[in-house]
Amino acid sequence: MKYIPKYLLTILFCAGILGSCAEKQDFDQLDNLDITPTAEASILYVETPEYLINQVTGINFYSQTFNFDAFSEEFFSDNVLDGVITYELENTTSKPLDITFEFLDQAGNSLDSENFMVNAAPTAILTREIAYGPAGRSLDIIRNTSAIRVSAANLGDNTSVSSLPNPTIFLRSSAKFRIRLK
Amino acid sequence: MIRTLLSLIILFAGYMTCCAQNKEVLYDFQEIPQAIMVNPGMNTIYNWYAGIPFISGIYGEGATSGLTVNDIFAADGLDINQKVRDRALNSLGESDEVNGIFQVDILNGGFRSQKNPANFFSFGMYIEGYALNYWPKDLAILAYEGNADKLGQRFDLNDLNASGQFINVLHFGINRQIKNNLTLGARIKLYSGIIDINSTNNSGYFETTSGQNNLLRNTLVSDMRLRTSGLDALLDANDNGSSLGSLFTKRGLFGGDPGLGFDLGVTYNLNKQTVITGSLLDIGLLYHTSDVTNYTIEGSASIEGVEVILPDALSDPNADFWEDLVDEIEELIPFEENSKNYVTFRPIKFYSSIRYNFGKQGEPISADCDCDIKSDGGDRSLYYLNSVGAQLYAISRPRGPQFALTAFYQRRFAKVLALKATYTVDKFTASNVGLGMSLQAGPVNLYVMGDNLFSYGNVADSNYASFQLGLNIISWEIN
Repeated sequence: MKYIPKYLLTILFCAGILGSCAEKQDFDQLDNLDITPTAEASILYVETPEYLINQVTGINFYSQTFNFDAFSEEFFSDNVLDGVITYELENTTSKPLDITFEFLDQAGNSLDSENFMVNAAPTAILTREIAYGPAGRSLDIIRNTSAIRVSAANLGDNTSVSSLPNPTIFLRSSAKFRIRLK
Repeated sequence: MIRTLLSLIILFAGYMTCCAQNKEVLYDFQEIPQAIMVNPGMNTIYNWYAGIPFISGIYGEGATSGLTVNDIFAADGLDINQKVRDRALNSLGESDEVNGIFQVDILNGGFRSQKNPANFFSFGMYIEGYALNYWPKDLAILAYEGNADKLGQRFDLNDLNASGQFINVLHFGINRQIKNNLTLGARIKLYSGIIDINSTNNSGYFETTSGQNNLLRNTLVSDMRLRTSGLDALLDANDNGSSLGSLFTKRGLFGGDPGLGFDLGVTYNLNKQTVITGSLLDIGLLYHTSDVTNYTIEGSASIEGVEVILPDALSDPNADFWEDLVDEIEELIPFEENSKNYVTFRPIKFYSSIRYNFGKQGEPISADCDCDIKSDGGDRSLYYLNSVGAQLYAISRPRGPQFALTAFYQRRFAKVLALKATYTVDKFTASNVGLGMSLQAGPVNLYVMGDNLFSYGNVADSNYASFQLGLNIISWEIN
């Protein structure tokens, strides 16, 4: 009889140790977890000094197609949700310029284009944001882009020189896109 | 299956790390033979003991700091995205961690020297596995939110600190009562590494700043590595459908990575009722030489997209600026693979305690025998019904040592039952109450112990939980 309290203690102890429980957990919530970071990086930078523009006769002083596979990479194109491409043009030359960005697919077809008319210096920096996705242009443009073509036309003369130091036309661009990781 | 499991481990071990490994209830619980594994210098009171193979010592532990399973997965109707954002991303720091560990005794036994009864030998083999990871705070934010609108914010690559190891350990120890009031012990351990994965000591950062030419500049400075041993064999075995058991057996029985370690311990009686103890465990290392595959990303690069600066760019009309950029990045920050051997150090554990015994029982548990050992000396704990004291525990961790402080009370009921209650404060919880029981039924010894018992009402909401149980045959007869 004297051991009864000990046995009771033992039973209670084991029940305490082994009788643990847990509130109901809902691991299916994982299905609702959205991991959609927004990544941003520069795309393309082109700078052309005014003396080079002056050397080219004719209106179109520059046109070049750049291979650009970042958007068509499988991971990106499969998971991109929406985003914005930002363009910035800074003109310190003495000429008004007509600049066009074009997104091309693998076959060289134009998917989308953005045109900029830039006044001769002194003029403000021109910034433009183009949205893609549900609230903007079709994401298929981005998904299928394999190259970027930049064309520039000189709407001025071929002799004038800006009074600003190192007169140049700067084309800057960046992309900010939301991607679904899960 | 294994790839999926590994992915899950790595993912959740976006938030995992090892190891509390504090066996504060077992420590100095002399009625339980396995207590000698946490202090080889413990006072031993048995003639011999034999653990029942595979069930003499089963130990499991899980710990998280800053976050519980319940915090994210409770069926509370809240949006999981908001919970992750509030309770993980915005709350956890890079020192927060999750860890998990298990140990299973395959063999465990001990015997007293017939020639010199002051010597007690112990031996055995156990397997141990753990996974560890500190919360990779910056990388988690980068993955969850991205780098947009975070100009100048550096994402520290050092936040990635994870490792996991699965080893087999063969051990042999000697415990010697040097004087009436002093017992010393030492153990040698032969490790055989089965699987090792670790990515520690990473450095570098990723940063987005305003560009010098273009709008943005992305900079990556990286010195990162992932080292693996045994992983390829595991994945191959899984792909080929060959036996994982034979792979584990082969690598676990010295066909894997060799290692050597030591344990040291001491028990010293300050007076008849006051005892101090201490031990250092796993002073050792593994040399990973078999099936090693390492991956490194070392270098630095800053990019501002495709840059075309005229007239220089006109020099090569066929230039592919995009490919040139990709090639340049790969050259500056190469992703490389090698099979160089490497060394990992075992996490060293330190225990110490002071114990005051009171409530004299009258005779020791082994007093039935005609003892050749110094029965009037040594640790007299078992002469007393009660013990009370404190223990200090520390473990070396990649981000500095971790400590735990424990207060305990132990009560013995004749020779049949001993209970030990502990209260522990550590980085995981300040309300950790543990209980341990040793039940002696004739020669059969059963022990059960659990930790952080107040959390057992809802284990999912617990920051720390461990259990240990085992079954031994003990002979108290000496001579």
